[in-house]
Amino acid sequence: MITKKVELVVAPKEPHFVGDGFRVHNFIPSGFRLDMKRMDPFIMLDYNSKYNFPPSKEPKGVGVHPHRGFETVTIAYKGKVAHHDSSGGGGVIGEGDIQWMTAASGVLHKEYHEENFSKAGGIFQMVQLWVNLPAKDKMSAPKYQAIQNKTIKKYPIANNGGEIEVIAGAYKNIKGVASTFSPIHMLNAKLKTGAKADFSFPNTYNTTLLVIEGSITVNGLEKVPTDHLALFENTGEHFEIEATDDAIVLVLSGEPLNEPIAAHGPFVMNTKQELIDAFNDFNNGKFGYLE
Amino acid sequence: MAENTLIRFLESNIPIEKSAVSAYVSTLKIRKVKKGEQLLKQGDICQHTFFVEKGLLRYFSIDKKGKENVLQFAPENWFITDRESVYFNQPSKYYIDALEDSEVLVLEKNFVEKISEQNNSFEEFNNKLLHNHIRSLQKRIELLLSATAEERYLDFIKVYPNLLLRVPQTLIASYLGITPESLSRVRKELATKHKK
Repeated sequence: MITKKVELVVAPKEPHFVGDGFRVHNFIPSGFRLDMKRMDPFIMLDYNSKYNFPPSKEPKGVGVHPHRGFETVTIAYKGKVAHHDSSGGGGVIGEGDIQWMTAASGVLHKEYHEENFSKAGGIFQMVQLWVNLPAKDKMSAPKYQAIQNKTIKKYPIANNGGEIEVIAGAYKNIKGVASTFSPIHMLNAKLKTGAKADFSFPNTYNTTLLVIEGSITVNGLEKVPTDHLALFENTGEHFEIEATDDAIVLVLSGEPLNEPIAAHGPFVMNTKQELIDAFNDFNNGKFGYLE
Repeated sequence: MAENTLIRFLESNIPIEKSAVSAYVSTLKIRKVKKGEQLLKQGDICQHTFFVEKGLLRYFSIDKKGKENVLQFAPENWFITDRESVYFNQPSKYYIDALEDSEVLVLEKNFVEKISEQNNSFEEFNNKLLHNHIRSLQKRIELLLSATAEERYLDFIKVYPNLLLRVPQTLIASYLGITPESLSRVRKELATKHKK
């Protein structure tokens, strides 16, 4: 089996605020060589590295805004987020939980720090990822999957070395709990110092990882420190990571959709006309209503 | 090159020789404006017309009660100025500020003549822009005098299709001459109407 090599290791950029509740480093699509085409089907990745939010009476977050044409996946590592959308989806996710919202034909939603977390304040750490939808599914009905950590199946690493949480796709013989519209693997590798895990994805899949906690070495060569992202080449299938400190690593691999992308703000479609339609539909209330 | 936006805008509206006009456009200053920064304030004599390359400007007044009234928004590809002040040399009654970090081309008072020197079809195009502007102002007067909140809102989204995502509802309500509560009600009713 051919080794999948690291193409580049990317340091987090200067953070910016999304609303007032998410202090994020954007990797996809603004990062060098991390544009939507290269990372297809992963079209956006915002990473809220560990950040201490002081107590706040008013929950911080992002007010009502629309989405169409893709899925938003929020992975909570620290802190709690509450979500509401115009299709009736909603809930609270905490440490280890995932919120997988299929915006598809269009929803309005808002995301805030959960009330009690907000009042107490504390360390907040999240990833928000946008997964593009195939053209044929862009106008399907919105859907919401709230995935609690206890429902995520885990693959144990030998010698108590940790575990691989299989959020979507598969790892070895374990299948992910989330349903997806195109082939995607989404894994959280939680490894103790010195533990190793190996991964195998088709060479055509776009593959990346983000070190959430600790640090790792990839293929015994490339060091990837905390809060850094590694992008893999599209040759080779197999790679190995070793935790040089107790580590949490988000591993993503997806089959590219290879469809045209027309993106503007919260809408990601295939043509410019579809973007114009999205604005018109949103303005005319066709995404519903949310206070 | 940020200048290209104005050139592209002109190209798509009049037959121009790129080289001649770009020679003039390249002499224009680009000003980077931070969100909240003012380009014009009451009492100033407005010296410039601004062409928005990137971002969003707002043209507004502040009434006796201290309430801000939005007369116009200017997103990308819009010209904005206080015509009374710039052409009649009067102290302005208005303000222009940036609602987003913006990049604006700063056009001198004589820019119409300058561009026309390079390309005489610009004069005709500028006339068209002026008439268009007057037409929008007439429509705005009529809407403010006699239209319902919903009619005003439907016109707004035609003129500014992507502003709802960029501008707080309170400012849109101010532009429409309605309360934020009325705007919220209109949007809720539209959503109910369109519910499949």
